[in-house]
Amino acid sequence: MIAIALRTLRHRPGGFAATFLSAFLGASLLMAFASLLDTAAGADEASAESLGTTASVAGGWCLVIVVFAVTSTLSLAVRQRGEQFAVLRRAGATGPQLRRMIVGEAVAVAVLAAAVAVPVGLASGRVLLGLLKDTGQVAEGVGYAFGPVALAAGFGVTLVGAVIAGFATSRRTSRMGVKRERPRARRIAAGLFLGAAAGCAVLTATVMDGKGIDAMQTAGQAGIWGSIGLALLAPELLRLTGSGGQLASAVMPVTLFSGIATGTVYMQGIEDDAAAGQIRPDYARDIQTLNYVVVGMITVFVAIMLVNTLIAATVHRRREFAQLRLAGATRGQVTTMVAGEALRVTVTGILAGSAASLFTILPFGSARTGEIWPSATIAPYAVIAAIAVLLTATATLGTTRRSIRGPALLRA
Amino acid sequence: MTDAVRVESLYRTYDAGTPVTALDGVSAAFAAGTFTAVMGPSGSGKSTLLQCAAGLDRPSAGRVFLGGVELTATGDTAMTKFRRERAGFVFQDYNLLSALTVEQNVVLPLRLAGRRPDRGRVRAVLGTLGLTERAGELPERLSGGQRQRVAVARALVGEPAVIFADEPTGALDLRSAREVLALLRTAVRDFGRTVIMVTHDPMAAAYADTVLFLADGRLAGQLSAPTPEAVAAHLTELVAA
Repeated sequence: MIAIALRTLRHRPGGFAATFLSAFLGASLLMAFASLLDTAAGADEASAESLGTTASVAGGWCLVIVVFAVTSTLSLAVRQRGEQFAVLRRAGATGPQLRRMIVGEAVAVAVLAAAVAVPVGLASGRVLLGLLKDTGQVAEGVGYAFGPVALAAGFGVTLVGAVIAGFATSRRTSRMGVKRERPRARRIAAGLFLGAAAGCAVLTATVMDGKGIDAMQTAGQAGIWGSIGLALLAPELLRLTGSGGQLASAVMPVTLFSGIATGTVYMQGIEDDAAAGQIRPDYARDIQTLNYVVVGMITVFVAIMLVNTLIAATVHRRREFAQLRLAGATRGQVTTMVAGEALRVTVTGILAGSAASLFTILPFGSARTGEIWPSATIAPYAVIAAIAVLLTATATLGTTRRSIRGPALLRA
Repeated sequence: MTDAVRVESLYRTYDAGTPVTALDGVSAAFAAGTFTAVMGPSGSGKSTLLQCAAGLDRPSAGRVFLGGVELTATGDTAMTKFRRERAGFVFQDYNLLSALTVEQNVVLPLRLAGRRPDRGRVRAVLGTLGLTERAGELPERLSGGQRQRVAVARALVGEPAVIFADEPTGALDLRSAREVLALLRTAVRDFGRTVIMVTHDPMAAAYADTVLFLADGRLAGQLSAPTPEAVAAHLTELVAA
């Protein structure tokens, strides 16, 4: 079975590009942050504490996003090959055999991705350490170390993530007969995440009220959980705007991106306003750096995930486009149709993300300044929305144009 | 002599909002070494009957025996294992894996069963089907008729007792269709296999020893030594009824 899996991988490497890329980026980020723990082992106490905080807080966020991204890209890759698995099933593959094959593929991709991520993680870790030194949080003399913690975290999390994602996906695929999406598990998960978000938000507004910058921890988490929760509800949200669930996989990354980015940037904005003219604790700058680093990294990460999801989703529809062209649709008409869909995806995602970011912004504003609605400008929000539109439009239209180039003939 | 395949009171209902009955109490026996065509108007349940008899689908009620062993009494994995030992399949849309070469596709069921393919046997089958030259190529480079021959080779190579064919000529031109039907015929006559074939084409059905008719999920007649004209006449009657 593994031999068949590897042959399929070699034959269609493109189908796994998204999984590979998200696993690679995830492993790089995890290794970069985890290497700070390796570095901390040889540092003075104050530096070590600062390194530890950075690694655990930022690394934890990355972990959640990585697992989410690898799972969603892998299940997309597997779903696209649903026909192939049906063929194997009819050729006499048992459920456990298919499961081994899917998990085997996922592990192969993850190992490769983690191996390629080593040099990138090493370099990024060095840059992170440089940032922490520049802001005075880590002593100048501390030397960079990339060791067992970084490797274990990078390989371990990516592999475990891939195995879990593989099992979860194969459970659906290996069943005989008609397979149906089971929205209940997804909705329950969404409910749990939203519950966690609400819990963190309430905690921020009550327990953390007056705790100053410390409220960021729970407030930041509230936004992340909220974004994931709403991202999981993408099919339902799309139904609200009157379009099918087909585009749901594209709405997820837009929601995550706009939710986490908006929440974190505005949270930092509120903090900066509130702290203006005050004496701030030493680690305030620490956290400020960290917030922007995390937003930057998560933005890049989610952006690539978004582009890949969209490319995969569009490529998957090559046949549909070809049929539309055969039925007499001009290239312009197909492009217009896809542009309309992309717009719906973006708007739905941005709206959901904005709602999720309120889990961070409202309670943090209340806890930090006593004002629920921040007095910040709309500029950063506009920038984030513009980035989301730009990414979605480029990815969708670029891929569509490529897949409908040439005559209207059906291509297998 | 035990029948190669026997189904007893098969029922199959689908839940598609309102329940749809595809099979409404079908009992039939298929003797070893015979070629049977299953025909009926679309929606008559003929494909469902084939899928249930072959262990690709599970009936809502009733029993399926393959080589005297009750298939319906086993679990999913056991059913798959049993099916791949005893049965071969040919489908309308070929069902070949695009990542595998012709030869790899042919030996896939053997590999899945953990059996080592006998090279000589594989060569012989590929030779019989005129695929020797194509053994190393990917399916996407073959014509429809060639692809279906690969599927027939795959069904034959494991020397299964029964070959199930679901509209095997549905996507083929006349000449390729005749080739495939002749191959199935040869498998029965010269190698003692049992073939059960679903088709809507009276010409294809005439290659069989017996034609079984289905309508609305129930048996609706039988023809021995069929001719295309007799089959067509019976079908017209069924549609008119």
